[in-house]
Amino acid sequence: MAPNSRSPISGPGQAAAGPYVEVRDLCFAYAGGAPVLRGLSLEVARGRFVGLLGPNGSGKTTLLRILLRLLEPASGEVRIAGIRPADYPAGALARRVAYVPQGTSSVLAFTVLETVLMGRSPHTGALGFEGAGDWHAAREALRLTDTERFAERSLEDLSGGERQRVIIARALAQEPDLILLDEPTAFLDIKHQQAIHRLLVRLRDEKGMTVLCVSHDLNLASAYADDVVLIAGGQVVAAGTPAEVLRTDILETVYETRVRIEFDEASGRPYVLPRPEE
Amino acid sequence: MTLQPLSARRYACTVLFWLALWLLVAAAALVLGARVWVWESSAQLGDALRDALYGVATASVVGGALALAGLAFQALLRNPLASPYILGVSGGASLGVILSSLFVSVLLQPIFGFLGALVTVGTVYTIAQRRGRLEPYTLLLSGVILNAFYAALIMLTMSLVKPETRGDIAYWMMGNVSRFDLQWGLVGLVAVLAVGAAVVFAFLAKGFNLIAVGEETAGALGVRVDRVRHVTFVVASLVTGAAVALTGPIGFVGLIVPHLLRMLLGPDHRRLVPASFFFGATFLVLANLATGLLEGAVAPFPPPPVGVLTAMCGGPFFVYLLRTRWRRTAEVQ
Repeated sequence: MAPNSRSPISGPGQAAAGPYVEVRDLCFAYAGGAPVLRGLSLEVARGRFVGLLGPNGSGKTTLLRILLRLLEPASGEVRIAGIRPADYPAGALARRVAYVPQGTSSVLAFTVLETVLMGRSPHTGALGFEGAGDWHAAREALRLTDTERFAERSLEDLSGGERQRVIIARALAQEPDLILLDEPTAFLDIKHQQAIHRLLVRLRDEKGMTVLCVSHDLNLASAYADDVVLIAGGQVVAAGTPAEVLRTDILETVYETRVRIEFDEASGRPYVLPRPEE
Repeated sequence: MTLQPLSARRYACTVLFWLALWLLVAAAALVLGARVWVWESSAQLGDALRDALYGVATASVVGGALALAGLAFQALLRNPLASPYILGVSGGASLGVILSSLFVSVLLQPIFGFLGALVTVGTVYTIAQRRGRLEPYTLLLSGVILNAFYAALIMLTMSLVKPETRGDIAYWMMGNVSRFDLQWGLVGLVAVLAVGAAVVFAFLAKGFNLIAVGEETAGALGVRVDRVRHVTFVVASLVTGAAVALTGPIGFVGLIVPHLLRMLLGPDHRRLVPASFFFGATFLVLANLATGLLEGAVAPFPPPPVGVLTAMCGGPFFVYLLRTRWRRTAEVQ
């Protein structure tokens, strides 16, 4: 264990020195499977909105799971605010990092409010009693995601877009510094895709949150993210601004298909068009 | 139901309400069960009260234990139809108890019951797990199959023993609270285990909620999912094994009680754990009282064992759950 001057429960100010998320030479393989991550390295600065792109099976979700301590890396190192996930005391990591998984479904009919209050569980005591502070954080999360009016409805009765906003609200109730999202808009239409991405931008601006969002949608990532990281074969292929990464040569190599890049006149950001004639 | 978070005060209210209900029903069952008004000598009254108290105490600890075990299995297996009886856990415990009493020692019955229960939980869990997910159909089917398998082993055992013993085993398998031999020590043991389980589960309840939503979500929110699962399976097997050693298998308590409470209180396990413990006790005291009151009605036949009564209520209830809740569960997973 490397000596570490920072306390795992130090506030955001103390941790602001280095990059907020540091991944170095990360390797991982599932039991009996081929390696998923092969020496992946990346850094995410505090308060950035980063899009994590890459083909299916490139290791994006695995990376999120390792950041969340759901998986142990085989080798290499991960640090969040300078501390390895495994070195956080129980619950402390969940007070700093929140997760929005791909799809959420429960066998039990929890209401929206109950679901959002679950985000407070890393903050509550052993018996899970909620106090005024927890109540306030849940209310604030409902307000930010514009889900207050569903508060008493069952999660199962909501549409896909509404439900995803509630899951983001649960993540916000954790009051994290870093929010990890795994294809949060995969099953949503363009209205809800944009609404969720605008919300993430707002969280970065208003709350100073660091956002790491796995996406298959190159154009959404380009339109909203500060930086994008392209992963293939368990390694980072390219990282930088959307214009630096979303280039024809890079994308055609990684995705093994022909694409065309155009630029949005207003924002100057690139967007990727398929080339059906090929 | 309510737009308020669970504060310590509201929690205490929940616990006290269900505790008070149990005390009320237990007191009523004591008076009615002992037929306090019919006895003329105080010695007769004393005997009747002692027997009634034994029945109330036994029904309470076994009912509380089985309801808690059912609630825990439903949460951890993410299946609202799971219960010790349906998953074969009670069957495994029964086989252990029978083998212990025939071949080892009557005193070791709770331990063999626990081992039978634990082996069953492990087997069901292993069979139903595929690629890290529990398949709801496979889970219930493996319970069905284990139940049939244990029934065969129990019948094999019965075919090998003396006819009197055979009759004893058959009667014991019906699930009976009012026994002729009062096993106060065993009642005490089940009571200690059931209270212990209620306390342990109260501390795991927050984790039960999150695991019911999803194991990955629970892990990301700081729950040690594997640890919660192992502790829960061991504790639920312990109480089921000991409860079965005391009364024989009593079916459907672990299914009916948590579901009735979910309809009243919602799905929050922080409330459901204490409520299931006390209402499980209340429920079985009531069921046992009902069989006692039937005694006069069905004379000269003996009253039906309480396990028969709960199974007769539980069968239709299971069908109801299957028709109303199952579809959603199957879709979800």
